[in-house]
Amino acid sequence: MTDEPAPESSAHTRRTVLKSTAAAAAGTVVASHHTSVASAETAHTGGARTRVTLSVNGERHRIAIEPRVTLLDALRDRLGLTGTKKGCDRGECGACTVLADGERIKSCLTLAVMRQGAEITTVEGLTRGDDLHPVQEAFIRHDAFQCGACTPGQIMSAVACIDEGHAGSEAEIREWMSGNLCRCAAYQNIVAAVADAAEEGRR
Amino acid sequence: MTGLVGRGVARVDGRAKVTGAARYAADHEIPGMLHGHLVLSTVARGEITELDTSAALALPGVVAVLTHRDLPPLRVPSFPYLKGFVPMQDTRVHHSGQPVAHVVAETPEQAREAANLVRVRYRAERPTAHLAHALDEAFLPPLFRDEPNEFVRGDAGAALEAAAVRVEQDYSSPMMHHNPIEPHSSTAVWDGNSLTLYESAQGIVFTRRVVSIAFDLPEANIRIISPYLGGGFGAKGPTWSHTLLNAAVAREVGRPVRVTLTRAQMYTMNGHRAEYRRNLRLGATREGRLTAIVDTSTAQLTRTDHGVYNTSESTLRLYDCPNVHVRQLGVRLDLPSSSYMRSPETTAHFGLETALDELAHELGVDPVELRIRNHASADPHSGEPYSSKHLLDCYRIAARAFGWARRDPRPGSMRDGNVRVGWGMATETHTFSAIQSNVELTVDVDGRATLRAATQEIGTGTYTVITQVAADELGMPLEHVTTLLGDTAYPDAALSAASATVASVIGPVSQAAQDARKAVIALAVADPRSPLHGVPAEDVVAERGYLFARGDRGRRDSYRGALARHGRPVIVTGSRLNSSGHSYGAVFVEVRFDPRLATLRVSRVVTAYDPGRVLNHRTAHGQVIGGVTWGIGFALMEHTMVDPHTARVVNPNLSTYLVPVSADTPSVESFFVDRPDKGSTALGARGFGETPGTGVPAAIGNAIFHATGRRLRDVPFTRDKLL
Repeated sequence: MTDEPAPESSAHTRRTVLKSTAAAAAGTVVASHHTSVASAETAHTGGARTRVTLSVNGERHRIAIEPRVTLLDALRDRLGLTGTKKGCDRGECGACTVLADGERIKSCLTLAVMRQGAEITTVEGLTRGDDLHPVQEAFIRHDAFQCGACTPGQIMSAVACIDEGHAGSEAEIREWMSGNLCRCAAYQNIVAAVADAAEEGRR
Repeated sequence: MTGLVGRGVARVDGRAKVTGAARYAADHEIPGMLHGHLVLSTVARGEITELDTSAALALPGVVAVLTHRDLPPLRVPSFPYLKGFVPMQDTRVHHSGQPVAHVVAETPEQAREAANLVRVRYRAERPTAHLAHALDEAFLPPLFRDEPNEFVRGDAGAALEAAAVRVEQDYSSPMMHHNPIEPHSSTAVWDGNSLTLYESAQGIVFTRRVVSIAFDLPEANIRIISPYLGGGFGAKGPTWSHTLLNAAVAREVGRPVRVTLTRAQMYTMNGHRAEYRRNLRLGATREGRLTAIVDTSTAQLTRTDHGVYNTSESTLRLYDCPNVHVRQLGVRLDLPSSSYMRSPETTAHFGLETALDELAHELGVDPVELRIRNHASADPHSGEPYSSKHLLDCYRIAARAFGWARRDPRPGSMRDGNVRVGWGMATETHTFSAIQSNVELTVDVDGRATLRAATQEIGTGTYTVITQVAADELGMPLEHVTTLLGDTAYPDAALSAASATVASVIGPVSQAAQDARKAVIALAVADPRSPLHGVPAEDVVAERGYLFARGDRGRRDSYRGALARHGRPVIVTGSRLNSSGHSYGAVFVEVRFDPRLATLRVSRVVTAYDPGRVLNHRTAHGQVIGGVTWGIGFALMEHTMVDPHTARVVNPNLSTYLVPVSADTPSVESFFVDRPDKGSTALGARGFGETPGTGVPAAIGNAIFHATGRRLRDVPFTRDKLL
């Protein structure tokens, strides 16, 4: 966190920002759409933008966004990096998985302003020129996807899973890749692809 | 013909999908686009009495908040628009989670916040939310899509009465949701009276028709674009109200607008598998020959539509039983419309295949043997012979690979330490449709081919299989053929549903590619500048992009050479028709149950199928592992819960609506008989995608009975039912 003082970034947790949404969604009032969404909670946004510097795939981007913008939405809607997918927007499906300083994170659960010091890698950043990353190649070789909507997240998760040393056996891969849902259910091919790429890395 | 068809070639869209280059509906950049967010009703039944948009409108960035007061009248389209009403046309609320306002803002965050500031008050009426509370209101719904809901063959009542052995039980399954990973997204761009939609649609041609009716616009003024689809499983087959409302809103505000459903909104906006109760009565001889089946199901319907989407097809047609009575009843509830969800016939098939296992146990007959004794060698309902059917081979192949002969049939007899092991099986089957489809194939002046069709890639491998078939018939390398899908600017073609795509599209592709090859060969042999000049056309073969004289391979031309000399593209079309039918298979399952913790694992699955000719073994296997995993979800976890007082879905998310993850699933072994069905014009391939998985819930339940002696008839088989 070199660009941004720590108190500034920690002040904008996603929990605070989205409280209003949660309050309305969880409201038990049946006869009316509960509208007493605390104005105090929305007052700090009011459309005000802040300058944010993001380092993505080795490139620095300066953008002006509201502090409540998630890293996922910043990548997709502001930087045009739509390879990262939004499946649930609440950390359940893993489609938005990216690397932050090499660690896999769900980019829907973090705000862009909180990740200014980090080096973000998305699926677009894995290739070297025309050459695919070994995990991308293994996914094609093993038919480890069908519709492709979860695939960028699976691949980013797989890259980290291998780096973490969690790809030693089929059972271990299944456990450590279970944060990424694949509704087409290409799981056994994903497991084979991750095992193959891990093996290739060890050679 | 170069042997490409059948080979498990890697997906041609693989690179686009693993690099993030593939553009899904919400990925298209549209200049000047605004973001929409829907406000959904919080009551299930009643009237809107007050709608205050002032706080929302006051928020920075908000461009408009539209309600029923602002929208122009939209006509209610018929199938495949299922709801029976268009929301935001009046004050009536038909279900919880129905759109009541549409907020449009400069950013998605502003739109979402503003949606929470829209104040809506209702005069709420008490909803009926549960099937169990209204079973006495069950009725036989009228025709749906020209199909009745009652079928009679022979005299099932009398045959049941006279049967030596009877099984009568109730089976049930809850509401379930498709949950494709890509949420529905629709972006409307108006240009005068013309509309372009970037859409997550399983049937762009159908979406165009629905939009055309709703807006009273000629179809020629509407273009639907959907080059990639992030899964659908039926959720994106019908056109849903957000597409119509968003297009109406975009027209009102005069700018492009995108609306993307939230995960929670996907639990009320785009259909679901309906809850079902089923009473099944089987009558049989002591030898296990079925003499009667009476299948009475009751589905959850709404007050605005009466579609029964989970038909009892396998009860009617799978086994050779002379007396069958099927009734598909329904009960009207205050819930969102249900719809088709992957392998809809699973719902009925679960009951039938469980009941057969109960009959086998009762008779002391092996479950596989019981199915063989009742095998139908002609369609039992129509009497028509099958053009091809190798289900008996499927039983034999899968049983042998599984090791079924080693099964001790006594429940609880097979153990591994403290763990009880159970083996169960079921037949797998599903209907496939054939839909009139057209394709256009262009061989360009560079000698490369481009195929265009307004069908979609839903993930099943449509781009790949079409490219494979075209390249094979043309005699070109795979990389010389480009397939373009997902745009209504291309010729009308099948929707990606009802296992219809291969059955419908492959015939036209094959026909167009053959015609193109013949047309180019004709050009070459007629051209004095071609080395093939004067060779009889029937003696010219095409391979890897080259054209050879048979028997004299030194006389060689190429697509590139022939087209370059011709100076303009060769364009042909294909539209060969096919007919619908069924694909078959068998699934064998091993479960391991630990009685100390009531934990259940599906540890082994072996399957064998007869889908006619297999066009690509990789993508076919992909449908097997997908379908089997869906079967595991159906059997063990998937369950949408509705609050009985408010009629609201209480688990509209992926942390409480559980779908299988990697650690829940075993690796599946699959075999294919792989013999062409002469009755199919799709190179002998049948529709197949929805066959795998149909038998899995019953096979798992049958395996649980084998492991524990306990018969479960209500899915999902959650731990509370296993304790």
